[in-house]
Amino acid sequence: MSKSTAYKVPIGPIHPSLEEPMTFNFEIAGERIQSVDLAPGDNHRGIEFMGRNRNIVQIIYLAERICGICSASHPFAFCRAVENAAGIEVPPRAEYIRVIIAELERIHSHILWAGVAAHELGFDSVLYLSWKVREEVMDLLEIITGNRVNYGMFMIGGVRRDITEQQIPRIRKTIEYYKDVYQKLEDVFLDDPSIAVRTKNVGVLTYEDALRLASVGPTTRASGVKKDVRQDQPYSAYADLDIKAITPDIHTGEVNGDVYDRIIVRVLEVLQSVQIVEYCLNHLPEGEILSEPKIAKLLANLKKAKGEGVGRHEAPRGEVIHYVKLNELENPEVWKARAPTYNNLMSWVPMLQNQEVADIPIVIASIDPCIGCMDRVTLTDSETYKQQVLTREELRQLSIEKTRRMLK
Amino acid sequence: MSGGSIIIFVLKIFAALVIAIFGIVLGLFCKGIDRKLAAMMQSRVGPPIRQPFLDFFKLMIKENIVPDNAVPWIFNGAPILALVSTISILFYIPFGPIPALLGNSGDLILIAYLLAIPAIALVAGGFSSGSTYASIGAQREMVLMMSYELPLVTIIITLGWRLNLAYPGLKVFSLAALSANPIWGLVGPLGFIGALLLLFTLVIVTPAELSIVPFDIPEAETELAGGVLVEYSGRNLALFQLTNAVKMVVMAALTVALFFPYNIAPLFSLSGALASVIDTLFFFVKLIVVIFFEATFIRVAVARLKIDQASVVYLIFLSAIGLLGLLFIAMDYII
Amino acid sequence: MNKMRRSGDNNMEYYNPEGLLSYLKENLPESILDSRIDSKKAGVKQEEFHNIWIEVKREKFRDTVKLLMNLQYPHIAIIAGNDTGQSIDLIYLFSIFYGEKFKEISLNVKVSLDRENPSIRSISDLIPGAQTTEREIKEMLGVEFVGLPDMHNIFLPYDFPKDIFPLRKGQKGLDELVQQESEGDKN
Repeated sequence: MSKSTAYKVPIGPIHPSLEEPMTFNFEIAGERIQSVDLAPGDNHRGIEFMGRNRNIVQIIYLAERICGICSASHPFAFCRAVENAAGIEVPPRAEYIRVIIAELERIHSHILWAGVAAHELGFDSVLYLSWKVREEVMDLLEIITGNRVNYGMFMIGGVRRDITEQQIPRIRKTIEYYKDVYQKLEDVFLDDPSIAVRTKNVGVLTYEDALRLASVGPTTRASGVKKDVRQDQPYSAYADLDIKAITPDIHTGEVNGDVYDRIIVRVLEVLQSVQIVEYCLNHLPEGEILSEPKIAKLLANLKKAKGEGVGRHEAPRGEVIHYVKLNELENPEVWKARAPTYNNLMSWVPMLQNQEVADIPIVIASIDPCIGCMDRVTLTDSETYKQQVLTREELRQLSIEKTRRMLK
Repeated sequence: MSGGSIIIFVLKIFAALVIAIFGIVLGLFCKGIDRKLAAMMQSRVGPPIRQPFLDFFKLMIKENIVPDNAVPWIFNGAPILALVSTISILFYIPFGPIPALLGNSGDLILIAYLLAIPAIALVAGGFSSGSTYASIGAQREMVLMMSYELPLVTIIITLGWRLNLAYPGLKVFSLAALSANPIWGLVGPLGFIGALLLLFTLVIVTPAELSIVPFDIPEAETELAGGVLVEYSGRNLALFQLTNAVKMVVMAALTVALFFPYNIAPLFSLSGALASVIDTLFFFVKLIVVIFFEATFIRVAVARLKIDQASVVYLIFLSAIGLLGLLFIAMDYII
Repeated sequence: MNKMRRSGDNNMEYYNPEGLLSYLKENLPESILDSRIDSKKAGVKQEEFHNIWIEVKREKFRDTVKLLMNLQYPHIAIIAGNDTGQSIDLIYLFSIFYGEKFKEISLNVKVSLDRENPSIRSISDLIPGAQTTEREIKEMLGVEFVGLPDMHNIFLPYDFPKDIFPLRKGQKGLDELVQQESEGDKN
């Protein structure tokens, strides 16, 4: 195929290997990728724009809905940003509960990812089995927070629900369940030859590229960069724990930066999260869960606050960062939210370069993309856009006409 | 043409129709069982066994879309060609005690050719559908086909050659002859190992013939969104699915005929009609067991390979295993 | 790419926030307009972590990044943009000294740009990872990044009007677009 000319293959906006809309334009010669152009933006909701017309407490709800899977991470980071800006202290018990929720989220997110990755490899048995394992933590989250996703736990200055005495045995049961099942998870993902053969030396991101492209989370850790907000700049209850960033050399003794290494990091992080939850449960302090339980009073306080703050949280996919500027107004002057996929976007380019078509799905999935998180900023309608697409009105008109025709 | 031969001719056509319909029904039924077993192994409920039939009927009432930049006659012809060639294999395969309809006029080599036709039809259909996904899928199908033909042919040659050594007068590539004298009875212990290797080779070639995981590379849903089949819909897609279902029966029946032609009736010293019924039922049991190992188990247990990996698996490892089998059988004969 | 050290290296020099600030001040005389160290406590043990907020002159921003690169390859999280009405402020959120517990410092660098003609040197040649966020700011706030390759819109539609910047305050064209859409709904 030496003389074959490159041809263009679009993957997306809608494609079976993508869980969310995003476009990749590939140039392919034979089975090799020659170049890739990323075109996100198919999933814009203009969330930051919406945030301009909402007060701080209302924005928590928006932040929670940036992404369904990181629905603890975004409010966590946002609350921390506001607390840093306004100088609000969070009671220790709330800090621990926050961390428990965030780590339970990490467990479910990583196992969900593992299932998706197996599906991309055409290994559906593992998809079904790992998602079955995931149900346990989803049930637990539902018991603690009342919801499977969008937990509604976070509030400025604390959390909205306490973990009661009756719930603790149930949480311990889940911890034991995952300790039991962890070995199986490790066997399936790290020792299975057919997964190894598809993921080793595939989608390599070197240490240097990981730094240059400012990638975050398991993507960067798999390339050997020891970067984890929970370790580097601990916050909440993480400050009391001794957390080490997990890199693949812990398991294999070497760092390759390939998809297999990303699997290692995530699988090991499941165990780490289980241990963190256990620690937090054992050391759960007594006391209040909110610094200011009355929302009206809280809003009045925030209206008087002035200052800027950054809230960071290590979400399952990497660092989430929110920047908030308060300026004695009803609404924040600036709210900037950044999801981990936003930074990991660029790392796709070196990863996909020179790979085979068959590797596209697993390489794309390997950074655990969350397009909904990343695309969040804009309005989608424009004048020129309307000329191409039928407007809602035109569609309605067509529909009415058709109904009339059928009635005749 | 005399009156008698006309009646035989009409009867044969009638029998062919019965076999075709029976093959299709059996194929869809086996697919249903395959899906149910896979679901049980993946700890989920799975669809009812009649699901492939429902899928088929639903596809038949769906619109059949031909893309604007497709070549219509190839695009529409490919599924028909694939189905017809697959069904015609059924005429050459004995179903347990029921002898093959055209057993006298065709042999294993013909079957090997007929098995290649659906793949070629798929390639033609893929290329003619004018989609890049389908083109990549068609390229992969070609590569895959070239890779698994060699091990497949090795099996056929070895079996025929060994039979020829034992009974020089027979039509050695005829399936009837091969079933009557299974390889296990012809060889000593060394040859037995060789025969096992050949069986293994056939089991591994089957997933590629049926394009299921780990060798569903031309269709690869998560990569190519269906690959060669991406543009097919409605009736054409239904025909391809039928082809696949029938092919599953063909491959399983072939395995049974070549390696497990034994009947159960003699064990109970039965004879006559009852023996035939029992043997036919036993044949279907064997068929489903073979399908379980050749298709269901493999696709549940592993991940999809890449095309270059699959090529290496077939052209190097599996060919080596096949040739090793040949070597063992040859050595067994010489010693 | 002079200091691409392995994070957690023993020979790496960690600065405390005061040290980092004085290092910057020494090397960038009279370019740091404003600076503030913001230390917060975390956890039951009440250990501290630090945010440094500085404002640098537009011309010296690139030098600031280069200085940081001498210490450790700085991680850029994002650029937050703020249209204050008088100027367009960009807040570059960096983090540096990652790799070990409590050593990391968040460095938030503010650069104020002229609202009529906002322009700044791109840093995407120093830190390629900054490209996405620079492109976003370019689309949303209309800031020109000198040296950033001219590429298609990353978050806005390709054919979005070139003179409308959705996150600028009082953006007229945008309101009209929204107006048109909502009028379409009423009919």
